[in-house]
Amino acid sequence: MAGVAGGGGGGGGNDFQWCFSQVKGAIDEDVAEADIISTVEFNYSGDLLATGDKGGRVVIFQREQENKSRPHSRGEYNVYSTFQSHEPEFDYLKSLEIEEKINKIRWLPQQNAAHFLLSTNDKTIKLWKISERDKRAEGYNLKDEDGRLRDPFRITSLRVPILKPMDLMVEASPRRIFANAHTYHINSISVNSDHETYLSADDLRINLWHLEITDRSFNIVDIKPANMEELTEVITAAEFHPHHCNVFVYSSSKGTIRLCDMRSSALCDRHSKFFEEPEDPSSRSFFSEIISSISDVKFSHSGRYMMTRDYLSVKVWDLNMENRPVETYQVHEYLRSKLCSLYENDCIFDKFECCWNGSDR
Amino acid sequence: MLGRGLKRKLSDYEENMAGLSSAFDSSRNLPYPLKRQLVLNMCLTKLQTYKMLVEPNLHRSVLIANTVRQIQEEMRQESSQQPINVCSGIAPNPHCYPGIDSSAISLHLPSGSSQQESNCCNSWSAEGPIENSLLMVSDDDMSSAISSILKDLDFMEDISPPTSLVPAGDDEPLKSPENTCLKLEDDRQDLKGAECVFGSFEISNSTSYLKDLAIDDIFEDIDTSMYDSDFCSPLLMAPRPPSAATEETLKTFPSCNSSSTNNIPICRTDLSELDHIMEILVGS
Repeated sequence: MAGVAGGGGGGGGNDFQWCFSQVKGAIDEDVAEADIISTVEFNYSGDLLATGDKGGRVVIFQREQENKSRPHSRGEYNVYSTFQSHEPEFDYLKSLEIEEKINKIRWLPQQNAAHFLLSTNDKTIKLWKISERDKRAEGYNLKDEDGRLRDPFRITSLRVPILKPMDLMVEASPRRIFANAHTYHINSISVNSDHETYLSADDLRINLWHLEITDRSFNIVDIKPANMEELTEVITAAEFHPHHCNVFVYSSSKGTIRLCDMRSSALCDRHSKFFEEPEDPSSRSFFSEIISSISDVKFSHSGRYMMTRDYLSVKVWDLNMENRPVETYQVHEYLRSKLCSLYENDCIFDKFECCWNGSDR
Repeated sequence: MLGRGLKRKLSDYEENMAGLSSAFDSSRNLPYPLKRQLVLNMCLTKLQTYKMLVEPNLHRSVLIANTVRQIQEEMRQESSQQPINVCSGIAPNPHCYPGIDSSAISLHLPSGSSQQESNCCNSWSAEGPIENSLLMVSDDDMSSAISSILKDLDFMEDISPPTSLVPAGDDEPLKSPENTCLKLEDDRQDLKGAECVFGSFEISNSTSYLKDLAIDDIFEDIDTSMYDSDFCSPLLMAPRPPSAATEETLKTFPSCNSSSTNNIPICRTDLSELDHIMEILVGS
């Protein structure tokens, strides 16, 4: 759906009422393929919402300032900036087209007036700087008002340029391009709590980058077997721990999550913790493995729990307990009886994301 | 598969519901083996479709391949539990032992597939409904098909394998057709042996059991031109009946022809296809 919706929480107590707060995008039935939104991410404060689409564009929405006369209603989000993040590329060596679709966007924690985000397609990650400009300098010595260069010999006096307000302009500029490190399609990126490094994960490998260094990355997980025919599992998502900069997790297509500590070895092929729920034999079907594939994993803000999303359910895990989740929520259990049809039309391979709210409720 | 850029609507969903898969979902009376066969057919069709894509999705391919392996394993276990007779009519060969013995016999498949796949040989002479035998033959095709798909993915995606593996990698595609051809031929011999022993079963009169396989239809329309020079995939070609004239023109397999004199199934199809091509060229 080429639209974005915000949810609103209702009154007090444990019962939430969910409703659409705002819908953006086209209501038309026929949507251009390039407009289809492929990823969504709030920044840390929630003031900015970034969306990436199949056409390689990023649109950032900003929440308007709270209106004093209506203190209880949430601010509306309006378009803040739009830019083309990725272009389609052609890999001549393999005769393959590299899609410009944005797979993931992650914001960096804000350190100055500008905002930074990482956006990635299948192969390349880019660091974008989004900055505001609301002042303009006037009264240059060497340039006319319309920009033409003055003849230096004609200048008889010097003046100091004055800053004048102008309409707000939001500029996005690419600051780093991290390319050529992934053979397979990138499915996750995650910024580390040290604010200096981040990881990127594809189907079989995870790489560690430094935000300042674009020509090198460290491979920290590699599950590619020597013989590809023995491949039975792929990496589906990965994330750094919110507080411990040496800890990260990655999920697999077999419904398992591995927690790794980068201090133990340079190549984290051996996990420190292994999370897997034993299969319920009564609900076993031909499609059990397919629906157990985890599509997203997210740490809670506290860092004590993590949430995983597979096809039919959301599970909350306590990091101290590896043998089963502490909570399980069936999201659309009614689909369980229709698995074969969903398999036939490929809907069973749809990937869903999950997200904690600000207070981990 | 839905077209790209189209929103999924409720009416499309309902249309999709009508069909075999909805029968699978809704009917409790469908016998389990039939359900399993249905899922298996769907898996193979998908794998086949993905193979034709320029860039198959690794995640999906792995999931589907695992599902196929799981079903294969189930079928093998079922047939190995049935009473087993020794078949004396089977031509002895070094690779396949007509076995009562259900313990693992290590079978060297050059593709390096796991032990469990090698156990399939034990069941060749197993008594059982003829469908099982046909399915067992297709097992090997399936295993080989999965292996070749995953290997192709490797070739497509990972252009820079570790140097120590490169020589081995180069040899494998050449070796595998030879040995899998051998294997398939052995299988057919085994089946023919089985036929003579279990004559009381209703068996079709065709000389080639592989002709009757449902997967034949799946493999018929493949354009294997992409894989000809790099990966010899006779396992896709072999299931075709040697005498049947297919519509698609066969390309020659240079690496195959040079590697082995045992490629009898391949040569037969080659000749018949050459005839077919000649017919077309001559216009008769």
